[in-house]
Amino acid sequence: MSRRTSRIVTNGLGLMVSFFFVFPVYWMVNTAFKSADQFQTYTPVFIPIPTLDNFIKALGEQNLAQLVRNSVFVTVSTVLLSLIVGFLAAVTLARVRFRGRASFLLLVAVAQMAPFEALLIPIFLAIRNGLPGPFSVLPIGYNQVPTLILIYFIFTLPFTIWSLRGFVAGIPVDLEEAAMVDGASRFQAFMKVTLPLLAPGLVATSIFCFITAWNEYLYAYTFMADPTNYTLPVWLVSFRTNFGTDWGATMAASTLFTLPVLIFFLIVQRRMVGGLTQGAVRG
Amino acid sequence: MTRAQSKAKNPTGASALNVAPSRYHTRKTAVRDALPYLALAPAFLTFVLLLGWPVLLLFLTSLQQFGLFELLNNVTTWIGVDNYYNLIFNSPAGLPDFPTVLMRTVLFMAANVALTISLGTLVALLLAKLDRWVRLTLTSAMVLAWAMPVVTGAVLFQWLFDSKLGVVNWAISSLGVFGNYLNHSWFDTGLTTFAVITLLIVWQAIPFVALSLYAGILSIPKELPEAARVDGANERQIFSYITLPALRPLLLMLIFLSVIWDFKVYTQIAAMNQGGPDGQTITLSLYTQILGPAEQQFGVAAAAAVIMMLLLLVVLVPYIRRMVKSQEEQ
Repeated sequence: MSRRTSRIVTNGLGLMVSFFFVFPVYWMVNTAFKSADQFQTYTPVFIPIPTLDNFIKALGEQNLAQLVRNSVFVTVSTVLLSLIVGFLAAVTLARVRFRGRASFLLLVAVAQMAPFEALLIPIFLAIRNGLPGPFSVLPIGYNQVPTLILIYFIFTLPFTIWSLRGFVAGIPVDLEEAAMVDGASRFQAFMKVTLPLLAPGLVATSIFCFITAWNEYLYAYTFMADPTNYTLPVWLVSFRTNFGTDWGATMAASTLFTLPVLIFFLIVQRRMVGGLTQGAVRG
Repeated sequence: MTRAQSKAKNPTGASALNVAPSRYHTRKTAVRDALPYLALAPAFLTFVLLLGWPVLLLFLTSLQQFGLFELLNNVTTWIGVDNYYNLIFNSPAGLPDFPTVLMRTVLFMAANVALTISLGTLVALLLAKLDRWVRLTLTSAMVLAWAMPVVTGAVLFQWLFDSKLGVVNWAISSLGVFGNYLNHSWFDTGLTTFAVITLLIVWQAIPFVALSLYAGILSIPKELPEAARVDGANERQIFSYITLPALRPLLLMLIFLSVIWDFKVYTQIAAMNQGGPDGQTITLSLYTQILGPAEQQFGVAAAAAVIMMLLLLVVLVPYIRRMVKSQEEQ
């Protein structure tokens, strides 16, 4: 086989594999824009005459505004809570030498890999009737939307600390010290020098938290009883079950649900490759 | 740059301030010593109370008779390891036997990991050989699959594999090789349902594995394969003696992660067919969810979850050790 043919074969193979990855996504969007007579055929329509009917139908769902509010509220609160608590811990771990630092790092790593699928039962038993003591005033418990914030906060905190710690450690401490020599206080030096440089790290980390909370299904499905308390993933699965064969509306809803995740994911995709396998760098 | 230079000229810097031991300074030092612990306190308390306590509670629950009665009346009845015994020897009615579920989960995990890692490696090798624009196409295509929310993926694959109008049945029938697949139902048997779920998982998992490995391949110095080629090595030898050994640590981490993820899969299976048909795709995660919150047999469900966690530890421990080691070396 000549070099030229082998190049064509390799590239052809690359395009075929690309097709395998793209096709389902294309089919989702494609179906979402089809009228009923275009998706209810045995011979599929590959390039539809687009219509927005499915989107109008999906968006006209009862309670949808409430469900979007639930999802946004839970997701944004999780991100903020995780970022605040995680930031404090991450800066400390990256910048300060103190007794117990290595043990805390180990704790974070262990927490990051906690199998939440196995912890469903104790978490359910522990907070279904609310939190104990002074915390009982918080609206936490079975069928209470803020419960999910607390749960997703535990999910995302370890990664937030781990990831932010890496970003802080990557900013040379010399920069801060130089600012302090120039008369800035330690706090000022951090705020004016390190924090701006940390912005990409904060964005990447919060996007990870966003995606985790936005997509979560098991806990939302187990804890939320009223359909008005559902988050979007639970709604999407029940929507598909309730609508039976209205694939047009289901795909329109899926497309709309996916869109924010996709946009955010594209921003951080490059960073995702390294993070989880860091341990492999030096074996 | 000027700031860095001024620092160099003035090496005494901040540390000089700590010299004079006045009372004021000792108090300030005490505060400063406590500061890291104060900053870590919220995170630490979160881990201990919201993660440590559930883990402990899980073990305690697994040793108790814990059903609806105990839940409502708030009584505690210790029964030792009875839950574990019952789980294994007289599994709760209405669900598949626990040993079956366990075996099924392990096989399902093994199939997913094997497919993800082998295909992911092949895609990574392919990426390294492609022309720039094809590589960009493939990378973008994979990112699309990777980014898709798991719930959307499950709903989407149900549509692709729909018996009547699904595009997959149409495509297979059109090929003409496998006969007529129109109206073929994929969700009628456990095995074909698992096949669709596995396809979904592998479709979404390959991108991470392939892109990580491709990054690993790029970090191998170009001189190594070139020198080998000059010495007469063929492509397969280059792969076995240069690429594979260089990628080994990375591959190991990816295998650990895949085992962990694929062992506890919940959403794909639940959203695809709720563990059906007839409970044939119920794996450990679904088993504990159904037995616990749904059927309210919390004691037995906790025992199942403990077994699940102990099995996970086999891969979790080496994975975490490597992660921590790499962080400390930084």
